[in-house]
Amino acid sequence: MNEGIQQELAENRASSVSGLDEDSSYMGPSARCVLFTLEDEIYGIHVKKIREVLRVGKIRKVAGTSSSVLGVINVRGVIVTVLDTRIVYGMQPKPVTDLSRIIIVELDDEQTVGMMVDFVMEVKDIPESKLEPLSSTKDNASRYIQGIAHYQGNVIILIDVDSMLKELI
Amino acid sequence: MDEDILQDFLVEATELVDQLNEQLVDLEQSPSDRDLLNAVFRGFHTVKGGAGFLGITPLIEVCHRAENVFDKIRNGDIEYDAAAADVILRAFDVINDSINKLNEGSRDLPENDPSLLAELDALTKGALMEVPEPAEATASSEPVLQLEEGLDPDGDITDEEFEALLNQRDLMLEDADFAQEAPSSAPNVPELKLDEGLDPDGEISDDEFEALLNQRDMLEMAAMESAPEPAVEPIVEAKPAAPSPKPQPVPTSSEASGGVKAPAKNAAESTVRVDTKRLDEIMNLVGELVLVRNRLLTLRSSQGNNEDLSNAVANLDHVTTDLQSSVMKTRMQPVKKVFGRFPRVVRDLARKLGKEIELELRGEETDLDKNLVEALADPLVHLVRNSVDHGIEMPEDRVKAAKPRKGTVILAAEQEGDHILLSITDDGKGMDPDVLRRKAVEKGLMDELTANQLDDKAAFELIMSAGFSTAEQISDISGRGVGMDVVKSMITKLNGSIDIHSVLGEGTRMSIRVPLTLAILPTLMVSFEEDNYAIPLTSVQEIFDFEPDKTNKIDGQMMVRLREKSIPLYFLAEWLRPDRVKDSYEDDKVVIVSIGNQKVGLVVEQVNGQEEVVIKPLGVMLKKVSGYAGATITGNGSIALILDLPGVIQRFQY
Repeated sequence: MNEGIQQELAENRASSVSGLDEDSSYMGPSARCVLFTLEDEIYGIHVKKIREVLRVGKIRKVAGTSSSVLGVINVRGVIVTVLDTRIVYGMQPKPVTDLSRIIIVELDDEQTVGMMVDFVMEVKDIPESKLEPLSSTKDNASRYIQGIAHYQGNVIILIDVDSMLKELI
Repeated sequence: MDEDILQDFLVEATELVDQLNEQLVDLEQSPSDRDLLNAVFRGFHTVKGGAGFLGITPLIEVCHRAENVFDKIRNGDIEYDAAAADVILRAFDVINDSINKLNEGSRDLPENDPSLLAELDALTKGALMEVPEPAEATASSEPVLQLEEGLDPDGDITDEEFEALLNQRDLMLEDADFAQEAPSSAPNVPELKLDEGLDPDGEISDDEFEALLNQRDMLEMAAMESAPEPAVEPIVEAKPAAPSPKPQPVPTSSEASGGVKAPAKNAAESTVRVDTKRLDEIMNLVGELVLVRNRLLTLRSSQGNNEDLSNAVANLDHVTTDLQSSVMKTRMQPVKKVFGRFPRVVRDLARKLGKEIELELRGEETDLDKNLVEALADPLVHLVRNSVDHGIEMPEDRVKAAKPRKGTVILAAEQEGDHILLSITDDGKGMDPDVLRRKAVEKGLMDELTANQLDDKAAFELIMSAGFSTAEQISDISGRGVGMDVVKSMITKLNGSIDIHSVLGEGTRMSIRVPLTLAILPTLMVSFEEDNYAIPLTSVQEIFDFEPDKTNKIDGQMMVRLREKSIPLYFLAEWLRPDRVKDSYEDDKVVIVSIGNQKVGLVVEQVNGQEEVVIKPLGVMLKKVSGYAGATITGNGSIALILDLPGVIQRFQY
């Protein structure tokens, strides 16, 4: 191994360590979440509920379904229902853009559902100490919300996928 | 009760009960067959062992007594005659019901009918009076697990206590087996052998002890091989070779392995239990692989001249095709699984009705998709009951008609291309088409003129229409409950068909044709612009162009005239493309489908031809949407929705 590469590795290590230090000197338990946006808000879903994130391909419409269902897609031979997350959360629909993604969430080992979102930001470890349950907002909205986190100057809305989907099935 | 252990027990017990069902009827035919007797005995014994471990008292009581009876039969103390068989079969039914109840999730079994237990005891005692000696064997064959003092038998137990119980149980089962394998002198059975010249009661050196241990391991290995799941549910009959915990002097190890009596288990050794979900997953992935291959095949033809690539793709093509068919085969089960229950069904019915009937099973080894095997069971039972009850005549009548006293019912299965042909043939009295025609008129199904126009075949098919029962008297065997119309709709649901052939005075033959597998469905692909839909091909009767001047609007419903008949038309686009206003249906196609005994015409934009598709579920979110049976992925990777015709019709009718 030559010195150049070693140097580079060392720097990488240093930067990643410093990156962590910058946000949180605290190293307690954290929840790893995928962050995405709808309109101007940031939402988070715990990674253990997420199977994958897909680019938007062809979505096959299914006549007779509710308006929150965009249709079905083929994920490697499995038919997956895609929800328009905007409509589920009571927002106006918006056309698909290059940034739109479908987050495939797991209900259980076999059942998966796709959630169309505006933009997928990143995967973040959110320290549990930053999580707080939602104080009283409107009843009907809070069903899907597990809590919120104030983190790095953002407000992240954490979604409880199970209760959200239970509601829709 | 430990749920996991219970589930393991149930899986095994269910199989054993299936086997017993057949074996018991076979045994009546050949009551002196030693192997069969032993197999039956072992079956009851194993179920009892598991039930004993789990503390399922009602099950233990019956199994134990049945086992005792068979012990007597094995020893030649009593005969397995029809009377004994009746009692034993009743006991077996109780066991079967119990297992079914447990399988369905109920955990509280009802108390046993004391009269049954008494009858079983009487059977055993009948023998005891003649031969008073084997009381010892009876006693030793009843292992009771002893909990340590102070433990609540219904309470939770700790792991250690559990282990202790397990050990106790294994020991008991072994002991019991030793006793049963050699009822006369218990210790004279395969065990470990000390080297010559050693005092069995004296001290042994470490080396000698090692040697014994090795011997023991060998024996255990031999036992393990014939017992697929020894840890969870030690299979009793495979255990006699297992060692007793203390080294004791006795015969040789070769005798010991010879003592492993498990002829029926040999087949099981090479099998593995796999969750069907896993198989479905593999099927799915193979389906994907096929799509990828297809894409490669198209690429190859467009790339043209690269020979290496071309060879590699051709190779992939072969491997994928083979893989696909092998995976399909893993889901297959021999039709024997359904046929197995019929000897019993026919025997019981024949005895009840006072008829003499021989059941012949043919083609039991024919393989069928697992789901189909299960789905076919009920319709077949109904048809066989029909043959026995309505088909075969009473012995005296048969003699009068110059037929052999004993009637024959043949249940046969054979593969016919990508279909399975099942047939139930009897040499009974056959059906009279004129009587059927008359009945149809009496029941108000049609007027006399129409009835008389029916050819014989159509007349036979009348029995499959709802509300049609020819039985003058309703017996408790057939003529009530599931009618032939239900059988027909069940078969239709499986994409199958029924054909009836009957000659008056000579017999009837019902043929059922079902596809080999439910996973693959032949469909007619139709489309609206780029949206594909698949219609199950079995329902499709004919396709023709939509011609406005051949339609009428009757009471708000569009109808099309087809050979002097008006058939309702449903414009699928109204449902499937509600956002689009369509002013002309010119150039559209009409697909006539039949659902049950109803015919309707579906108007579609395009008909793209036949395609065999793999049915995939639409998933929980869309389960409630009616009109779809599922979805599938077409050759070019796009999704086609499979229409569920009854659901579609309902959408349009209400």
